[in-house]
Amino acid sequence: MNKLYIDIGSTYFKVAQNGVIDQYFRDFNKNILDDLSSKCADVISRYDKKDIYICSSANGGLSTLIIGLTNSFSLKYAINIAFNSGINIIDTVLYPKIESEPVPSEMIDVVIVVGGIDSVEKVFDEKLLAYLEKVKYQNIVYVGTQKNRDFLEKNLENAVILENIISNDLKICEEGLKKYLTDLYQADIVGKEDIKQLYEITDNQIFSTPYIVNRSLPQINERLDVANPFIVVDIGGATTDIHYSRDLVNDNILTESGYDRLVFKKLGVYKSRESLVHTAKNNEFVYELLEHLNVTENILEEQSEKATRILMQLAIFLVLYKVSKHHGDYVELNLDILNSIVLTGGITKVLNQEEVDDIILFFYKKILHFHHAPVILLDRNYEIWTYGIKE
Amino acid sequence: MKVVTGVVGNDIHVVANRLIDISLEERGFEVFNLGVNTYLEEFMDAVIETDADVLLISSLNGEAEGWCRDLQILKNQYDFRDVVFMIGGNLGVGEMDPEALVPKFQNYGFDLVFHQIDLNEGLDRLEAFLEAR
Repeated sequence: MNKLYIDIGSTYFKVAQNGVIDQYFRDFNKNILDDLSSKCADVISRYDKKDIYICSSANGGLSTLIIGLTNSFSLKYAINIAFNSGINIIDTVLYPKIESEPVPSEMIDVVIVVGGIDSVEKVFDEKLLAYLEKVKYQNIVYVGTQKNRDFLEKNLENAVILENIISNDLKICEEGLKKYLTDLYQADIVGKEDIKQLYEITDNQIFSTPYIVNRSLPQINERLDVANPFIVVDIGGATTDIHYSRDLVNDNILTESGYDRLVFKKLGVYKSRESLVHTAKNNEFVYELLEHLNVTENILEEQSEKATRILMQLAIFLVLYKVSKHHGDYVELNLDILNSIVLTGGITKVLNQEEVDDIILFFYKKILHFHHAPVILLDRNYEIWTYGIKE
Repeated sequence: MKVVTGVVGNDIHVVANRLIDISLEERGFEVFNLGVNTYLEEFMDAVIETDADVLLISSLNGEAEGWCRDLQILKNQYDFRDVVFMIGGNLGVGEMDPEALVPKFQNYGFDLVFHQIDLNEGLDRLEAFLEAR
């Protein structure tokens, strides 16, 4: 018997069986299970619960606060692991400056504390406790130096202590924290009624979609015509994710899968449309881009199909801009050596190949001063997530 | 004793870096080698994460002058009082006065500065400096 794969997105859900993928626009007046049942009850009823696999990005994900000793190691490693575990919302505090750092006002799902290799003593002290007293959080995990564990265990009730994510030769050790965060996501799902109900139709663990997509990347070139190094850009309704080969990054992290993930939580074209427009208006190249597309900035205020298409083209441009060397954000990708760009998510349902090629070539000419762009593939059938969930 | 070492800036002299690593280990130091192409901030962060006693920066292409100017600023952001800051290699480029290099790097915040000095001599002097402390 074949298996049935279901991806619950923020705007669509996708159902894959026998290599065929159907998509359904979400009805937000219904809960997810009712909506799913009303649209494909027949299909679901043909499968045993053990043969149905579900991933979801619709429950918003976990919010995270990372307290780390340095930017180059503790914070960088923990951010990397959190993104690769499917977490979208990440705030950071640099421990040496903790006394002057603002305290987040909203409830944090998980606080991660990290710093020092195992032989280092007394990294964290009362300053940490004083700060945490002001933070509202549900879970706390410690992944720093072994020699500070007693202090954390003694003073922080419910602190989970895991292996240090910084090895004794300053390399990243991701497995322990990655598993903890993935399990926490699972527990979070169980706590959310809407997703919890999906266990009525599956016996298998429900994973976060970004985690599943990240898992699919090492085998992607066996199924799609892409050449390394490549990036996968998933522009959805609420967020935009980039999954990239580590060959594109020049830094000190070496992860097991060789592919990392970065999230732009305010660059979606549906639920975070307003912030996308705001980001676009603040970009110095966008007016030239609008001229290139033969439209004026007024299009950004319109609610039409044409406006959505333009906004999606802008989203592609902004995402590439934000990971280029012109933007010193969390990560800088060496786009000069990029061979393939795979686009997935809602954007592939709206834009055609020509529109995507045009915008990416504009980026390469304008920003990188190239005369050509990498090979561009549109994952029109949302196939990528099915490779990871089948594993 | 723990030593963080590496080559600063856009400098890929990996053989020299490896020789420094081996020589330090031979002398009984615990070495954290960040390799070539390392930024000053990464060196400082590695010292913090490892609680190192010595930061030994090397530079072969002469770019250290530009890359290490902010050392004092970074030193003021954390308590590095017990750390020895050392730099060595070929520290100047183009038309420069070799005599002026040592005081210049000392002003940047280095305790020990070795311009075109033999590696073993530099490490002997490091050990003597640590012992005198």
